[in-house]
Amino acid sequence: MNANHIMSPTRRTFLQRAWNGFATLPLASLFGGGGAQTRHHAPRARSVIFLYMDGGPSGQDLLDYKPRLVADHGKPFPLPMEPTQFNDNGNTLGPCAKFAQRGASGQWISDLLPHLAGQADRLCVVRSMVADFSEHTNANYFLHTGHGLQGRPGIGAWIAYGLGCEASNLPAYVVLNGGLIPPGGVDCFHSGFLPAHSQGSVFQLRGDAVANIAPCERDPQQQRRKLRFGRALDEAARRRDGADAAIDAAVANAELAFRMQAAVPELTALDGESAALRAMYGCDDEYEQTRTFARQCLLARRLVERGVRFVQLTCADTRNDRWDQHGDLPKGLADNCRMVDRPIAALLADLDARGLLDDTIVLWGGEFGRTPFMQGDSGRDHNPFGFSMWVAGGGFKAGHSHGATDEYGYKAVLDPVTVHDLHATILWQLGIDHERFTYRFGGRDLRLTDVYGKVQKALLA
Amino acid sequence: MGPLLAHALRHTVVALTAGVAATQVPPPVDAGEFAQRRATHWAWQPLRDDAPPTAGQPATGHPVDAFVDHALAAAALRRAPPAPPHVQLRRLWFDLVGLPPPPDAVARFTADPSDAAWEREVDALLASAHYAERQARHWLDLVRYAETLGHEYDFEVPNAWRYRDYVIRAFRDDVPFDQFVREHVAGDLLTPPRLDDGGANESVQATAAYWFCEQTHSPVDAGKHEADRVDNQVDVLGKAFLGLTIACARCHDHKFDAIRAADYYAFAGFVQSSRYAQAPLRPADVQGAPFQRALTAQRELAAAWQDALAPIEPPPPPPPPRDGDRVVASAEDLAAGWILTNDGFGPQPWHGPLCLDPTATAPELRQLPGAFWHSAVAGRQREGTLASPTFPLTARYVHVRAAGQHARIKVIVDGFHLVRDPIYGELHKEVGNPDAHWLTFDCGAWANRPAFVQAIDQRTHDLADPKRERKSWPDDGWLAVQSVVLSPHREPPPAAAAPPVPPHAWTEPPTAVAAALGRLHEACAAVPVSPTLPAMVDGTGRDLAVAQRGDHRRPGEPAPRRFLQALAREGALATGPGSGRLQLAEAMTAEGAPLLARVLLNRLWRQLFDRGIARSVDNLGALGDPPTHPALLDWLAADFLRHGWSVKRALRQLVTSATYRQDSRRRAAAEAIDPANLLLHRQNVQRLDAESVRDALLAISGRLDPTLFGPPVELPRETIVKARGQPDRHGPLDGDGRRSIYLAVRRNFLPAMLLAFDLPTPFATVGMRNVSNVPAQALTLANDPFVHQQCATWANALLAAGVASGADADVRLTAQVDAAFVRAFARPPAADEVALCRDFLATGGASAWPDLLHGLVQAQEFLYLR
Repeated sequence: MNANHIMSPTRRTFLQRAWNGFATLPLASLFGGGGAQTRHHAPRARSVIFLYMDGGPSGQDLLDYKPRLVADHGKPFPLPMEPTQFNDNGNTLGPCAKFAQRGASGQWISDLLPHLAGQADRLCVVRSMVADFSEHTNANYFLHTGHGLQGRPGIGAWIAYGLGCEASNLPAYVVLNGGLIPPGGVDCFHSGFLPAHSQGSVFQLRGDAVANIAPCERDPQQQRRKLRFGRALDEAARRRDGADAAIDAAVANAELAFRMQAAVPELTALDGESAALRAMYGCDDEYEQTRTFARQCLLARRLVERGVRFVQLTCADTRNDRWDQHGDLPKGLADNCRMVDRPIAALLADLDARGLLDDTIVLWGGEFGRTPFMQGDSGRDHNPFGFSMWVAGGGFKAGHSHGATDEYGYKAVLDPVTVHDLHATILWQLGIDHERFTYRFGGRDLRLTDVYGKVQKALLA
Repeated sequence: MGPLLAHALRHTVVALTAGVAATQVPPPVDAGEFAQRRATHWAWQPLRDDAPPTAGQPATGHPVDAFVDHALAAAALRRAPPAPPHVQLRRLWFDLVGLPPPPDAVARFTADPSDAAWEREVDALLASAHYAERQARHWLDLVRYAETLGHEYDFEVPNAWRYRDYVIRAFRDDVPFDQFVREHVAGDLLTPPRLDDGGANESVQATAAYWFCEQTHSPVDAGKHEADRVDNQVDVLGKAFLGLTIACARCHDHKFDAIRAADYYAFAGFVQSSRYAQAPLRPADVQGAPFQRALTAQRELAAAWQDALAPIEPPPPPPPPRDGDRVVASAEDLAAGWILTNDGFGPQPWHGPLCLDPTATAPELRQLPGAFWHSAVAGRQREGTLASPTFPLTARYVHVRAAGQHARIKVIVDGFHLVRDPIYGELHKEVGNPDAHWLTFDCGAWANRPAFVQAIDQRTHDLADPKRERKSWPDDGWLAVQSVVLSPHREPPPAAAAPPVPPHAWTEPPTAVAAALGRLHEACAAVPVSPTLPAMVDGTGRDLAVAQRGDHRRPGEPAPRRFLQALAREGALATGPGSGRLQLAEAMTAEGAPLLARVLLNRLWRQLFDRGIARSVDNLGALGDPPTHPALLDWLAADFLRHGWSVKRALRQLVTSATYRQDSRRRAAAEAIDPANLLLHRQNVQRLDAESVRDALLAISGRLDPTLFGPPVELPRETIVKARGQPDRHGPLDGDGRRSIYLAVRRNFLPAMLLAFDLPTPFATVGMRNVSNVPAQALTLANDPFVHQQCATWANALLAAGVASGADADVRLTAQVDAAFVRAFARPPAADEVALCRDFLATGGASAWPDLLHGLVQAQEFLYLR
């Protein structure tokens, strides 16, 4: 038996029963801040914002410029085709927008993303992503958890578990729900076998942001009286029965919960942000979905500002079935780009202006890409064999393109990056070695990256 | 506290960073290494069964105490004194029934806390049905119980809840655990099966547990989907019963245990030789008198009909077979290996005229050309499925000759049942033509994959029925199937038509026909229709090959089906033509008995002491934690086997020990020696689990509806999360007061309140839930409308009882505060607590009482068991 595998029951009991939730924070702060002790090396980044493009956006129309695809539009697709989700495959389909080189770095970005084009020099575009699954749900679980089935912790949960939160009154992992929960449900954000404190807290944009955050009592004094009464009973019990770490932590959590009742509304009130800034994000855009996504982006900045470790944005509903354009590709893409383009560009600029971009990893992308050939008469089917994502900030190379797909943008052929590689690289920037970051469940030391993944140093500045 | 925490955290960090990087496939385990592992690891060894030691401190005469005290004495420790009676009682109630003790039980036991009174209390609780609900909930965690398949659309597993009721009944009736295991592995194959008082087959219901795996719709590679599903099924089988991580050996020999990849594929072979079906609880005996009377009535009707009109010509012989066609299965050939589930298709194929519906306004006699398996021989309300043997798709087309209405036929490729668009729509066809016709399936995309044809005459019970949007099929469905033909030709084979039944001109049938129709109707109505549930049935038995690196596309050496090599007798199991699961069940409960008993007793211990004797309850392998009291665990296991595998008896033995009943308060001297309490020098403090929190609120408010069993109970629609597959059904805030075990378990929409208190996501065996400690729990107890509702209900009941007592205001108030504390904490308040309450009530205004009670449930004493 390898002694390295064994956490003594003392330590594990302690982990399960006391080292939990926001309780981490005061405890971790005993060491002088933010749970940094779980890091394996000096971190380059502090937080992650994941702009999650549910459905699988089309690289061929947005980021992956292929002259051959333009030239061969409408001709029979010349390469062997893999089975697809609908197996209704047609001819080569050229991009539905013009591409141009942008910024000093000359990165190719299509006209569908004019605002993002203005930020080209901040982006590290990975044009050679590969994933293991062609089905949304498996692919979503895979993108989030490194595993194609339900029930494993997502990358946000792993990071929350490993690093805790720097905010004293907010959870470490927040999902800003634009309206679309991805196929696979909230299990994409779940803590799986990790302790529950590490799971993503889904914040709503309308009504109360957090479940049960609003007191039922009309008079705040009424709630305070009850809590005081309960605490008095707790103190009596402690005098009678002595201290117990779990019960003490529960008392601390009750007090944190009480503080969250004030902190969450303060977070979501955007009155303090200038009108000019809100306009830059698109908070008063005429398109409702842009306004929603702008609010999410602005909240994301406020969250990382407050020390939240991992923020994920889900898309608003443009009524085009997410980024899943099996048909009507030009309209779906136009609407979706309109929703995210201005807010994302503003987020990057705003983070940079506040000095936050340097230690915040901003990740953009979906669970797979799309086929360079037509599905039906106006769509693209799922394609996990080669697709594009981009990363900005957090020590990733700026104004850089990595890897390449073939001349049709179908499969990654140069420097492919797997989802596991991406996970490993993000963890690395946060100071975590993915191979040494494990949790014992069901008799195995499990990792976010399973037995795979390689830190992609080529992406890093 | 500070330095201690600092110490613990530092070690946490070390542990987090010390995991082994498993980037390489480990080498195969040779015979020497295997024997070494087998010989040295404790869990593979026979039970020791040492006599309880005699040395130790104040002997209680209880074997459990003898072992624990002995180990304590060796560390110069003593067991803690007994906990106060109300603490013991509250612990016992939540542990055994998952509910708080009611006031009369508190009064009874605190007045007489003798050992005899304790044993009476224990026996009463073990005899209560609530005990079975509690124990069943623990069990459901082990089999990742869920009523939907998860993934994109969260399809329902029809009638999954019947399994939950089966488990409750099994614990209520204290079914011997070896029988319980046999039923889970091969309940469909046990002869005779265990029947309940009403004659329903209990045994088959356990096999539903195989089907709580998640399933994707439209996987691009069905073979991979099957391999992943079987992995999960083997994983649960291995962990829940054997406490072994067999599924770790999917890709290579186990890295640490005496488990080879061949062991994994031997187990996988049992599962993959079996199939999903909705099986009946009370199938009509197709050879029995009522069913046979219906068949006789059919023949008599046909005779009377022909007497009144003219003889019906028999069908011509079938045309000769066409080149290239291969008959996979035919109703003309009884040796074809058809697999029938439920009684719909009768005892044998039907030949000749048949009346589908004797009560129709114009009853008809119909004839199909030749022999057909026919689901309406005893009336249209009968249901069933009929399936061909498994065959490789060596030709492109599958032609099925059939007739029917509101029925369907599917080609199941790679065991994939969720047959629907996209991708699989071609493999699913509705049958909507009462005359014999061919249905042609183009299977070109699945060349050479293993497949079988499944014909389904069931209203609502298919897995992920594409027509579920219709809610249900009409009751008049029927289906007749003649043959399955594998063919390179797109055109179906030639076939003969049946001569028509001569038309009649009567407005009212002749007397003899009318009488025969009446008899047929009566005979059909007398055959009972059974409810069904998801189950395992045997398919075509086949051994798998060890897949290299776990890749189903790279088969290697054959892996004959057998029990684990480390425990099995020599040689393969004689499996016969079916799956061989019956033989596996026998081997598991014979050679595997010591391991089964250790695993179970360790789980029961974990329920009562918060930690297993071996802490890793789902893994007693080399990577698990070694037992803290190995001799005790072995003695308990041996004693369990000696006494008929009785779970109730085992629990009774544990909770009657002084070890269980001792105080949980810390003593500084003992903490210094045994800080993690590994030696059990005191009881452990436990937080209530998710279901107990909700059930306790219902119990103390008086709202608890103790009804047992039944379909899932709905809560209000989830408002925080909206997603695909969201159910349109919803229910009241308090879930009709039903216990939490009856709440609907939809993978993608688990109840938020229970999740906050660590209800596990049902995807793998969970023998030990997380016990997290998060603000969401405090927010739930403070602000959840359900909690407010229950406190208000409780306050009304308390005040009404006070008024009814007729006592004066002050006496009444004291009695009410007293009653509230007894409900919440199983004890009356101390003097300072009474003063606190009086003060609170005096200044609390109109909502003082509900507020006070809400304060009580937010005190940690409500949430924790001392």
